[in-house]
Amino acid sequence: MNPAPSSSATDAAPVLQAAGLRKSFLSGEGSIEVLRGVDLSVMAGESVSVRGESGCGKSTLLNLLSGLDTPDAGTLTWAGHPPRGDRRAAFLGMVFQSFYLIPELNALDNVLMAARMLKPPGAAERARAADLLARVGLAPRATHLSTQLSGGERQRVAVARALMNSPQLLLADEPTGNLDERTGDAVIELLLELCRETRTALVLVTHNAVHAGKTSRHLSLHNGVFQ
Amino acid sequence: MPWYLYLALKQLFPAGRKFPFFTAISVLGVALGVMVLVVSTSVMGGFGREIRRWTVDTTGDVQVRADGGINRPADFLAQLTKVPGVVAATPFAEGVVMLEHNLKPSYPAVRGIDVERVEAVTPLSKYIYFGKLDDLDDDSVILSSQLAAAIGARVGDKVEVYSPLLIEALKSDEAYLGRELRVCGIFEIGHQALDSSLVFVTLRTMQDLYGRRGSADGFDVKITPGLDPDEAAARINAALPPALHGHARSWMEINHDLIFILQLEQNMIFFLLTFIIIVAAFSVTSSLLISVVRKTREIGLLGALGGQPRQVAACFCFQGLVIGMAGTVTGLALGATVLTFRDNIVAAFTRLTQSEAAIERFYQFKQLPAHYSASYITAIIVCTITVCTLAGLLPAWRAARLKPVEALRSE
Repeated sequence: MNPAPSSSATDAAPVLQAAGLRKSFLSGEGSIEVLRGVDLSVMAGESVSVRGESGCGKSTLLNLLSGLDTPDAGTLTWAGHPPRGDRRAAFLGMVFQSFYLIPELNALDNVLMAARMLKPPGAAERARAADLLARVGLAPRATHLSTQLSGGERQRVAVARALMNSPQLLLADEPTGNLDERTGDAVIELLLELCRETRTALVLVTHNAVHAGKTSRHLSLHNGVFQ
Repeated sequence: MPWYLYLALKQLFPAGRKFPFFTAISVLGVALGVMVLVVSTSVMGGFGREIRRWTVDTTGDVQVRADGGINRPADFLAQLTKVPGVVAATPFAEGVVMLEHNLKPSYPAVRGIDVERVEAVTPLSKYIYFGKLDDLDDDSVILSSQLAAAIGARVGDKVEVYSPLLIEALKSDEAYLGRELRVCGIFEIGHQALDSSLVFVTLRTMQDLYGRRGSADGFDVKITPGLDPDEAAARINAALPPALHGHARSWMEINHDLIFILQLEQNMIFFLLTFIIIVAAFSVTSSLLISVVRKTREIGLLGALGGQPRQVAACFCFQGLVIGMAGTVTGLALGATVLTFRDNIVAAFTRLTQSEAAIERFYQFKQLPAHYSASYITAIIVCTITVCTLAGLLPAWRAARLKPVEALRSE
């Protein structure tokens, strides 16, 4: 379990570089230190799985890596630059356990929502969204509201949305947690395949050893540090 | 369209649902407030217009009176028509008489008019629905409709008229016979007080009744259309000979108190009914706050997708703006509909409460007047849209304060 990139990727600049990340939360009268100095470097096209027990800080780590939360200590860079909210839409995509599709929008518009964060979508963006939906096997369901889709279909829409802006980094937080085994396997296969094709760096938080085994690097978080 | 405006519209009018219930309720609340405001201010504006109509149509734009009367009306008329802005003028004399028909007495105000000139100043003919103005001579009278009905007089009937000279004659132990006049016309202006207690005779008849020997009480004046009546009155006052002890007043000055009270009522109604809009805006705030709570995880997602807090705030603020605009348009349409059918509505209401006569007596008008005031309609539109947009601020602030990490974690 090595937080450093594999030798095949060391000649490129890291897409994600985290050093000494620390995070603690107040609990009662004291505080709990969830992350105790996490180091992580991820290269373009690399896929990294993070496993660990429930409550060990996997989701907290993803929140720090995505810039949604700030570390108590440590440094983080996105492609060599400090993380900034206004760069998030273009730089990274996120996939969550609970999909988080917008119920008022259909599948196509949910995918296009990521593009809308950058600019009002034109024909090219619509074509790409339709293409991504076709890639995840949902072209016939493009005009269906998210409430009319099954769990697996929703997660595939979420994957397409995460890749809509061709991000350099994709963070997936237990994306198969709410899916049955067969659907979960299919979603992971799809995620890895699309990331490979587009050389998108992937950080996959999962409990599933089989899914973790399919990534190029495997990390285990224990007591707030990578083992 | 920026994503926050796009999403705001999608949240208000979700795809796949034929009837956006929450949005419709919010819009309806605002629309009802706007409708009540439009109807109330327009009816009050209508009262003002009616006062102008019956004042100008019976006494002209400006009225000139002299303390001791005008002894040479023809000479004064020549002077008056030279004043810039004066189009026409007609002399009048006023008083009160006792009028009797079939032993039914009444005590109307009587107005002596110059039949040759009066139509150039006031469109009296259009209110005469039995008989003609041209039939008015020194032995005839035109009665108001309700007065004619009260004493049972019709065109062609004879009425006895007694003036205050009767009292003077009685003091001197002289015999005084009333003047017999033929009813040559019946008019209705649409104002209860005028329609129940005013009669027209010729100026000469009025001079005879009051023993004035060729003098007039004053002149009704028509001015150039578009000219400010107060300005015209000022010009006439400047041209009046000091020896006359006369004074010209515009129709607005004559009815100053009534117009002031109506304007005050109109402003007060606008002020008070604006609170209906504010109450409706609170319901907009409440429904948007519920929306923020229901969509907490979506708001977290927007942050995760790259949305900035100010953009999330704009999304909810815009929803308030859209509700305000939709409510305003709907309210204006509802208000216009109610005003179009106002007489039917009032008739139905008065029939139901059996209060037709009381309403007419109290409000002086047979029909409910209405006048759209551009300034009030503009004020209603601006006020409603502003208040509703402000109503979105609190939910917007709440939404913008949500931290994406915590919002995504919320249950």
